[in-house]
Amino acid sequence: MNVEQVVVEAMKKIRNAGFEALDGLRAEYLGRNGCLTQILKSLSQYSVDEKKKIGSAANIAKNTIDSEIEKRKEKLKKNLFDEKVKKEVLDCSESFYFPFSKGGFHPVVQMIQEMSSVFVSLGFSVAEGPEIETEWYNFEALNIPQNHPARDIQDTFYLEGSNSLLRSQTSTGQIRVMEQYEPPLKVIVPGKVYRNEASNASHSSIFHQIEGLSVDENITFVDLKSVLTEFSHIFFGSGLNVRFRPSHFQFTEPSAEIDIQCPFCKGKGCRVCKNSGWIEILGCGMVHPNVFKAVNYDPEKYTGYAFGIGVERIAMIKYGIDDIRLFYENDLRFLKQF
Amino acid sequence: MKISYNWLKNFVDFELNPQDLASVLTSVGVETSVVSSDCCWTNVVTAKILDVKKHPGADRLSLCKLSDGSKEYQIVCGAKNVAAGQVVPLAKIGASLPGNFVIKKSKIRDVESEGMICSAKELGLKKDSEGILILDENVKIGSALEDVFMENDSVLEIEIATNRGDCLSHLGIAREIGAKLHKVISMPTIKTFDVASLNSVKVKSDLCLRYMGSIISGVKVGPSPKWIIDALEKSEIRSINNIVDITNYVMIELGQPLHAFDISKISSKEIIIRNAVELESIIALDGKKYQLDPEMLVIADNQKPIAIAGIMGGEYSGVDEKTETIFLESAIFDAISIRKTSKKLNLSSDSSYRFERCVGWDIAEFALWRAANLIIDIAGGKMEAKEDLQTIKYEKTKIALRIEKMTKILGYDIEENEIAEILRFLGIDLQPRGERILCSIPSWRNDIKIEEDLIEEILRIKGYDSVPCPKKHVNTVCTTNSSAFIPKIVEKFRTKLNGLGFCEALNYSFLEIKELEKFNLNPYYKISNPVSKENEVLRPSLLPGLYRNLLLNIKQGSETVTLFEYGKIFGELGEKKAFAVIMYGKVWQEWWMWSDRKINSSYDFYFAGGIIRNILPFDDFVIAQNLTSNSYYHSGQTAAVVYKGEYVGQFGVLNPLMTDDVNGDVLYFEIDIEKISGDYVEKKSQYKAYSKFPIVKRDISIVSNKSLRFSEIEEVIKSIKKSGDILKEYSLFSVYFDESKLGKDKVVYSLRLSYRNSNKTLTDEEVNKDMYALLEKLDINLGVRLRE
Repeated sequence: MNVEQVVVEAMKKIRNAGFEALDGLRAEYLGRNGCLTQILKSLSQYSVDEKKKIGSAANIAKNTIDSEIEKRKEKLKKNLFDEKVKKEVLDCSESFYFPFSKGGFHPVVQMIQEMSSVFVSLGFSVAEGPEIETEWYNFEALNIPQNHPARDIQDTFYLEGSNSLLRSQTSTGQIRVMEQYEPPLKVIVPGKVYRNEASNASHSSIFHQIEGLSVDENITFVDLKSVLTEFSHIFFGSGLNVRFRPSHFQFTEPSAEIDIQCPFCKGKGCRVCKNSGWIEILGCGMVHPNVFKAVNYDPEKYTGYAFGIGVERIAMIKYGIDDIRLFYENDLRFLKQF
Repeated sequence: MKISYNWLKNFVDFELNPQDLASVLTSVGVETSVVSSDCCWTNVVTAKILDVKKHPGADRLSLCKLSDGSKEYQIVCGAKNVAAGQVVPLAKIGASLPGNFVIKKSKIRDVESEGMICSAKELGLKKDSEGILILDENVKIGSALEDVFMENDSVLEIEIATNRGDCLSHLGIAREIGAKLHKVISMPTIKTFDVASLNSVKVKSDLCLRYMGSIISGVKVGPSPKWIIDALEKSEIRSINNIVDITNYVMIELGQPLHAFDISKISSKEIIIRNAVELESIIALDGKKYQLDPEMLVIADNQKPIAIAGIMGGEYSGVDEKTETIFLESAIFDAISIRKTSKKLNLSSDSSYRFERCVGWDIAEFALWRAANLIIDIAGGKMEAKEDLQTIKYEKTKIALRIEKMTKILGYDIEENEIAEILRFLGIDLQPRGERILCSIPSWRNDIKIEEDLIEEILRIKGYDSVPCPKKHVNTVCTTNSSAFIPKIVEKFRTKLNGLGFCEALNYSFLEIKELEKFNLNPYYKISNPVSKENEVLRPSLLPGLYRNLLLNIKQGSETVTLFEYGKIFGELGEKKAFAVIMYGKVWQEWWMWSDRKINSSYDFYFAGGIIRNILPFDDFVIAQNLTSNSYYHSGQTAAVVYKGEYVGQFGVLNPLMTDDVNGDVLYFEIDIEKISGDYVEKKSQYKAYSKFPIVKRDISIVSNKSLRFSEIEEVIKSIKKSGDILKEYSLFSVYFDESKLGKDKVVYSLRLSYRNSNKTLTDEEVNKDMYALLEKLDINLGVRLRE
């Protein structure tokens, strides 16, 4: 057989061979006693020209056959794995996976963190204050004298055997910050507050507030409006309009309340906003001169704004929760949703 | 407070419909909403029946022709009482009636009907009714039916800020409308009386600032006219009799509380305004007896109190059908005194509500004459005498307003002309004084005391909407270094535990005493005025709250409860921040793939300890023996967490005696954040280069005494690690004790030792040498030997 015939024959055999047969074929053609090896060995009987010709043809043939065997091997391997994979197809239905238990962060804490980070991005830093306070910090310094009807709204828990009370508003933080630092100030004080009232779906004896305060020589109502509008747009989305309404707080003058367009009906009126189209989100105002006097700031030199946000209220709006008590029951069926 | 829309129009001329009026009032700070009339229909109008014929195809039906004044309708009606000339409610095509009933164009027995004449039942007004509802024939046709019932009026619900006592009347609200719309208020016309002074009233306390009264004789007490009853009803005041009703009517009209006494029931001719004396009491109009004290102001005759001043009259001096001569009181009492008394007696009234919020000086007089006029008009009688005693000399408040100050606070300019106009419509008299405007505040605005109050007035009337709102550059002012509510270390705990499937809880800071007793905890702070038992004490630990959550979740069917909480606790040294974790139940959920394996391990001491070690962020935290363990822990299964040599936390199995209300162990961990968060900085360990050369592993089993703590063996291993420098890691993979095979008190530990050199491949000899050094040291130091 000449080289060409050998190649044709070998190719034919390889194409139909199985795994084991391939090793035989390799020996048959390329092995020490294989026919191509034989041809190369017998080159001595030929002329120089023929030697060259047959030799190179035989070497090419060797490579061709070798690579054909490899190709065939790859192909067989692939078939084998294809079959294996086909057999191993699994049902990917939801229920089959390992049921790792899901953790959850408390929605109120999340809300505080989210709002805080918006305020931090607006240049505020974060401070904190004690929950056990005195009348001075909770009322007097905030321009709420003894026997003022404003104390009615905030029935307060008092502690036995001392003049202490549990703060009814994080506004105490304003006083603490101003006592500790000199202007300029731009700070929020998140925390727990306490009101001595019976709990129901919309009232809780404990809830959280975020107090804000900015004081400097040239802080104005325009700043107040700009910053809180910006906050509302970042936090609730710029698609919801913001409305400032005059209001009254003892420690600010002028005072305002801010409403946003109801996120559920976009202002058309629904059950959540009691058909008004608006939802109240926070109270604010320009710091009352008596508050500045209480912390020995000169009210002729400094001006400032303050605001307070009820965290649970906002969380209830954001998540559509209709009973504030759910936040404090700590039922896993509730917590795992957040 | 509820007020009538139409009544406001008597004071001020405006065109706004009730909804728009509510928006305008809200925009000036008087939160107002329109009370929805109770109608549950739409598109029902009043119409007159022009003609009634028999239905051509049905004997029992009538064919009616109706008009609403602009259009005629053909209606098929089945009622027997239908007749021409009646005014009736007509539900037009498209009208909806209670019960989701929508009126459509229809054919009844081949005759077209363009609506329906309604019965009281169909309108939801009565449960049962016969025939159609026939209205008063004078009712204007074409009106919406609800307006006929509301007499074309709307009720407004108004919420007033605590400082705006002047708004607690129709007049007060009308003033706000006038100020906003720049309209002048018109007051009701009154006739004053030129009569003699009474000379028998004595004011003996300066808690009474002004006391006016008049005597009207010959009145005829009886029911009030309908217009007064209707007016009171809209403000939710019950009608009593014409005299009492008029005092209430004037109160909601003008804001001044009034009181009428039956003079014949007063034992002397003298009326004394004085402080109550010790042990004095009064039965008030509500029929209850009130114990008085010397801080309280009363109106008295020469024997006993006849009224608690400003709060409620006495029962026996009240006006009834037999009353002929009345004493009509219009006074101004000290707001704080009224408030204190009202709180002490737990008694409040429409009158005390207004006095607490201050009433206007001038209006007291006007209101007295207004009421006297109405009484004489309605109940007859004759004005006999009057009195006006003042214990203070009233002067208007004067405030200098600086335009410059206003700009400093608001941040933009408002024209001086505009300022002046706003102030004038608020009833404020102005006198320009150079850079300042001197403002005289009207007597009804007790809340305006300082310059800033005036600035608010100007801004709220001008409208908060008008304040510019530019996008501001964020100027960062560094007040405190912190930018987060939660300390970094706690944030780390939370993130890791959340990843492990734990949930964050938030509990009230309050506990019941018995919840503390359960865990042998002492209360450090007791609440002196708790609303309920749940608020008795402040929590000295996060444990009772989390345990309560555990019980709730077990009850609702959870097999695993893993919760954590961050918050303040209140202990011996005051309030401090703490973090706690509670773990209970199965570690793994059931899974179909594991159905043939036994996966029922529960949270126990070592597993929980592993979690604690995992969440503690770096080497500064060490687990140590708990030398001062809380008694709520199982004394043998608890450990301490030490941070920089200081005990900061404890964990362990809760005392089984205290947790016998659940099955199995409850694991608890609490750590004092106050002690670590201050100096905690996120610390990254230095990078350590690692070897490229192969690892050699050796397993050894050693026999030890149970009484020897494993940590002592570990100390030896650590010393060899240090001295030989090729033992890199070790792990405990088996602990075995079997008395029958090992003897009493013996335990076998199997350890896997990993050796590696950083510069070369280790030979067997080198490894053996190091291992023998370890075994020798274990033997010499601790008597621990290789297992035979």
